[in-house]
Amino acid sequence: MGSIKMALEAIMDKKGRSFLTMLGIIIGVGAVLILVTVVQGYNADITAYYEKLGVNKVGVEVTYYDRTNTIDITDEFMQYVSDKLSEHTVGVTPDIKTSGTLKYMGNSNTTADVYLGNEQWSACNNFILNKGRDILVTDLEKRERVCVIGSYVAESLFGYINPVGETITFDGDPYVVAGVFYQKDGTTEESMDDMILIPYTMNRVIMDTDTVTDFTVKVDTSEQMDGVMAALEDWFMENLNTNTSSYDITDGNEALTASEDETASISLVLGGVAGIALLVGGIGIMNIMLVTVTERTREIGIKKAIGAQRKVIISQFLVEASVLSATGGLIGIIIGYVVSLVLSKAIYDLLLVPSPLVTVGAALFSIVIGVCFGLYPAVKASGLQPVDALRSD
Amino acid sequence: MGLIEIKDIYKIYSEGEPNEVRALNGVSLKIEMGEFVAIVGTSGSGKSTMMNILGCLDVPTYGEYYLDGISIKERTESELAEIRSRQIGFIFQGYNLIPSLNVWQNVALPMSYQGVREKERYARAMEALESLDIDSKADNRPNQLSGGQQQRVAIARAVATRSPIIMADEPTGALDSKTGEQVLGILQDLNAQGTTVILITHDNGIAAKAKRVVRLQDGLITQDCEVSEWVR
Repeated sequence: MGSIKMALEAIMDKKGRSFLTMLGIIIGVGAVLILVTVVQGYNADITAYYEKLGVNKVGVEVTYYDRTNTIDITDEFMQYVSDKLSEHTVGVTPDIKTSGTLKYMGNSNTTADVYLGNEQWSACNNFILNKGRDILVTDLEKRERVCVIGSYVAESLFGYINPVGETITFDGDPYVVAGVFYQKDGTTEESMDDMILIPYTMNRVIMDTDTVTDFTVKVDTSEQMDGVMAALEDWFMENLNTNTSSYDITDGNEALTASEDETASISLVLGGVAGIALLVGGIGIMNIMLVTVTERTREIGIKKAIGAQRKVIISQFLVEASVLSATGGLIGIIIGYVVSLVLSKAIYDLLLVPSPLVTVGAALFSIVIGVCFGLYPAVKASGLQPVDALRSD
Repeated sequence: MGLIEIKDIYKIYSEGEPNEVRALNGVSLKIEMGEFVAIVGTSGSGKSTMMNILGCLDVPTYGEYYLDGISIKERTESELAEIRSRQIGFIFQGYNLIPSLNVWQNVALPMSYQGVREKERYARAMEALESLDIDSKADNRPNQLSGGQQQRVAIARAVATRSPIIMADEPTGALDSKTGEQVLGILQDLNAQGTTVILITHDNGIAAKAKRVVRLQDGLITQDCEVSEWVR
């Protein structure tokens, strides 16, 4: 008789016990997969946020500017970046953030971020034009009263009307909508889509100053960040009288790095919880197997007495434990995948599945535990004298 | 040298301790091929221990056991399993059926250890069950059977192996007298066909059905004679 057939019959015969054995594995594997996916989703969520925000940005702020400086900081600085650092940069733009009231007909928006920038601002800040046109160099030169609006501003002020060509007011001053950006953050109030971009040369009107002191430099890869920042540092040392002026250069990726550290520690904690779940599952398997030792010992005694070889008995139990553990592992994987998909969709609006490595690792761990403890009574009892195994009641 | 030969066998539990039990206290016995031996004795006389040792289910504390002229001590575990499989058919006092298998599967199980093909296993199992008039229960589980029925299944399991030696520990204990007679008849038939039968019983009347009687008392043989010469 094939030991596989016998093992399957034994499993079917003891459905309750078989299910309990599998339950430990199912819970262990499922929990690990789900927790790992949740962490993965959290990571992806954070990364996506920073990607929307724009990575590899260097913030430059001249915190105190002495007007006795001989150079026009705005033009000279941007000229320098465009000319000398273009190899490693995507663009450079003044980047001033303010706020105010936007109005169109009867609608108003008071939550929007109002940015002052140049024609490279959208590239530097990961905005993509949807309709109309972006800010042009001529707009800057002629101080045109134009703007490019985010998708939420378009929705909140215009509804279904095409905003391009319409005139809105910003704190009472009229601006013609030249273009609309694509949604990048869900088109909700106070999201990244709740914004408006105006030529920085309107600074004079809006902020009542000619001097631009905040810039964003977009670097093409993260590897180039340090080099570009060093070059900017050198430029300021050379061109700014540091006795009377000061500046600040910040690495935009630092926040990302910090949150990556944070997610790493969250991963560690949740990974530990998952590990405990797996361990508890393993202990569950072990308990069920040990509880049945007595019963199984008698069965083994009978089989030995009527002529079964030890290896026949062990192989039957091996098959039984393997089938149980593997089935449990498979069910755990299925549950883990389904719950992962559902949870990641519900929490992060992403479809995430556990990584193959974690899946295989968790399943292997459970199966090894299941097989070891499933074999334990067989190995122990099959080594006894038949009469001793028979006597266990 | 006989088929079965034990020399000065001791089986001592908790040796050297105050609660030491000498189940067998120096027993020697020789059984030839084709014999029908009844080992009789009261409860605690050591007769079940004797069967366990003769059936290679247990090992003696001291003494020699030769089966087919070869010392059991020289056999490997695997060879002992082979002996239990091919040489000896057991009928246990407590039936020892496997609860998760149905009746015919129980009967067929030892044959699977002998390497008999599945089809033949089924045929031989059914044949043995028929001869014990229990074939109608072939697809039932042991726990659905009465004690007497289970005993008959256990006998069928031993008979179906076609082993040259049958060892039966109180095979009629749970049976009514009519079925008991039947079982003894089967054992006598098997013996007539050349099977060596060793019957363990406390019942003198049953022992009288054998050809030779060995009486055990307190772990010692106190009587060993042909049934015809037997004085109860």
